[in-house]
Amino acid sequence: MPILTVRDLRVRYSASGPEILKGVSFDVAEEDFFAIIGPSGAGKSTLIRCINRLVEPTSGEIVLYGENILGLGTRDLRRVRRGIGMIFQEFNLVDRMSVMDNVLSGRLGYVGNMTALLRLFSKADVSRALTVLDRVGLSDHVDKRADELSGGQRQRVGIARALMQDPKLLLLDEPTSSLDPKIAREILGMIKEIAREFGVPVLCNIHDVQLAMEFCNKIIGLQDGVKMFDGPTETMNKERLDEIYAMEVL
Amino acid sequence: MTAAASASLDRYMAARGRNRRRRWLIYLAMAVAAIWCLNDTVVADTDWERIGSLGAILSAVGEFIGIDWGLVPNLWQPALETIMVATLGTLLGVITCIPAIWFGAMNITPYAPVTYPLARLMMTLSRSIHEIVWALFFVAAVGLGALAGVLAIAVRSVGFIAKMSAEAIEDLDPKPVEAIRAVGGNDFQVFLYAILPQVLPAMISVIIFEWEINIRRSSILGLVGAGGLGLVFFRQLNTFNHPGVTTVIAAILVLVLLGEIVSHYVRKAVI
Amino acid sequence: MTVSQSIAGAPVREWSRIKYPQSLYRWGGIMLALMFLGYSIAYLNIPLERFIGMFGRVGTLITDRYYPPDIEYVLDKGYLATVLDTIRMAYLGALFGMLMALPLGWFGAYNVTPSRRFLYPVARFLTMGTRAVHETIWAILFVTILGFGMMAGVLALTMFCIGFAGKLFSEEVEGINMGPVEAIRATGASQLSVMVYGVFPQVRVAFTGIAIYTWDVAFRAATVVGFFGAGGMGWYLKRNVLQIETNRVAAILLSIIVLVLVSEGISAWARARVARAK
Repeated sequence: MPILTVRDLRVRYSASGPEILKGVSFDVAEEDFFAIIGPSGAGKSTLIRCINRLVEPTSGEIVLYGENILGLGTRDLRRVRRGIGMIFQEFNLVDRMSVMDNVLSGRLGYVGNMTALLRLFSKADVSRALTVLDRVGLSDHVDKRADELSGGQRQRVGIARALMQDPKLLLLDEPTSSLDPKIAREILGMIKEIAREFGVPVLCNIHDVQLAMEFCNKIIGLQDGVKMFDGPTETMNKERLDEIYAMEVL
Repeated sequence: MTAAASASLDRYMAARGRNRRRRWLIYLAMAVAAIWCLNDTVVADTDWERIGSLGAILSAVGEFIGIDWGLVPNLWQPALETIMVATLGTLLGVITCIPAIWFGAMNITPYAPVTYPLARLMMTLSRSIHEIVWALFFVAAVGLGALAGVLAIAVRSVGFIAKMSAEAIEDLDPKPVEAIRAVGGNDFQVFLYAILPQVLPAMISVIIFEWEINIRRSSILGLVGAGGLGLVFFRQLNTFNHPGVTTVIAAILVLVLLGEIVSHYVRKAVI
Repeated sequence: MTVSQSIAGAPVREWSRIKYPQSLYRWGGIMLALMFLGYSIAYLNIPLERFIGMFGRVGTLITDRYYPPDIEYVLDKGYLATVLDTIRMAYLGALFGMLMALPLGWFGAYNVTPSRRFLYPVARFLTMGTRAVHETIWAILFVTILGFGMMAGVLALTMFCIGFAGKLFSEEVEGINMGPVEAIRATGASQLSVMVYGVFPQVRVAFTGIAIYTWDVAFRAATVVGFFGAGGMGWYLKRNVLQIETNRVAAILLSIIVLVLVSEGISAWARARVARAK
């Protein structure tokens, strides 16, 4: 039983512009750690952003836990978004806010405007934030400002923020591209461990094929908005990779 | 050296000479304009007999040297008034400029073809009219007193604060906005958690900077009847107590310096 | 098992937004500021009820007395001549002010000043002092010493521009890249040569921008120094304000706004051009 089903997804940014995604379909099951690979400009980032509708698809179907999320109104869309954790390439933290507030902002989908305005998060939320920060190894940095942390630490704040959402699906948009190789492995390892522990499927777009092969159990290969490959990591081989990256110059 | 190389060198030297000549021509034009202006304004418009000899000028300046210590105790109250008018005026200006910021930032303005130029007009109006003129206008509207000064300062501050804040909002980093959207935040929460934390430090820094300038402005609004140090200044001048005039100016200097120090530390604290 | 369920087992932990003493300082500071504001309103006797009614009064004031502006008055030859005078005063004030601000900007920039012990504080004090004293006070002082006329106005604007441009100049110089300066110094060049070849090329474009901006500000100030007898259109303004010729005042204000808009337009265009030429 797939958790997420994507059918014939098409995206155009403007009516006369080029089609970025040309009918992509795939399924994600609960135990999956899915990698989306492909040359730059293939539409990886657009695909990820369609899942929580940060980018509005032109047509197609995205079914999450049996609910088609395309065509949902603002309120329902927010309910769906709060169940999808997202981790970004450049962490997307608010630099001038404390680590704690950045992590608590993961609860925004659950709280009302007054709570948000006065920053009066419940004891349970705060306790959860501390537990989550512990889990990602940041207990010593709770009250620091986000911009005081190193890149790897900032991405851990990003992971903690996503975990605060109680996610049923994790989207990773190039989570390691802004980090050096050693830290990148650590971060991906941590995400994988957490995903397995909590039983959350992951959809990760990544340009580093080496990392994808190492951490993911399934791979989607995109090329110019078209799915070229979809299968378990073991079935990926040199020829198929060459085919996916054929259009990349050099 | 070959002929070709020498020709290209000649061309190069000629271009260099042209550039230099053009620059000197601009300087020359500026100097000629200055002489023309000097002749028509200063030379023609000055009552040279009134000024008299250099010695007379020096003795006139000499009258201002010295500090009237007896005046100092009477300066506390006007100095306090000056700071209060500046502070209240800045605050009122901040409140007034909220719509101007909202309309004047290209990325959040409600309806760009109308609201954006409207906000720009507001900002230019506020900045183009001198505080003295604003004060005169408000004295006519609400009568003599501190309120006219506060209003003049407020209106005069709107332009700068709104312009800088609108630019800060335009330069906003969109990434945190995307992140808060992705966790399911609504527009209000996006504003609170992604936009405000980013622009608030810049805004506070601009406001403090404007406050510092406003101290300087409010120190003269007494000249048109809005109280404070300006009033004392005028009184000393009209009673020909010239050392007293110097004392008031020194007080203004101290006040502005204090403002600069406070502004320096507050800005360091918020950034 | 979802994240929530697995975290539910963890022990409840405490954290407080309130930290001693940081929060105390912060909220104490905010409270003090608010108290000062409230006290100010009381101390200055600001009639809040008059403030509310003010909007209506300003409205009637404009419609009854200031409207319509007496446009003919500002198209009069005599008035236009003072407009020209105002422009010339602003030009001279800005020019002389900047000529004097140039060395002050050099001496007052901590990274290249020839003497940190002596010239630096002197230059800083001069720029700060000329800037802190408002241009109208300069105007009044020069009128008192030299008598009515444009000379007082030009001198007042000069003082104002020294402080204004001097501060911006020295801040610009303090932001330069010190590498080329060191390189020029390493060739054994004199202080002045270091300035001309190492510093000035780096700030030339920014200085031109500041110069245009200074002219802009000087013109705005020039419109009012006449108010205190220092020449230019300010004198007309004062006369009509005193005679309560409000329609004429409105026309003069309009002419000031138009002129400032024009000058701002020109200076924005010039600054954009200079920036492009970079």
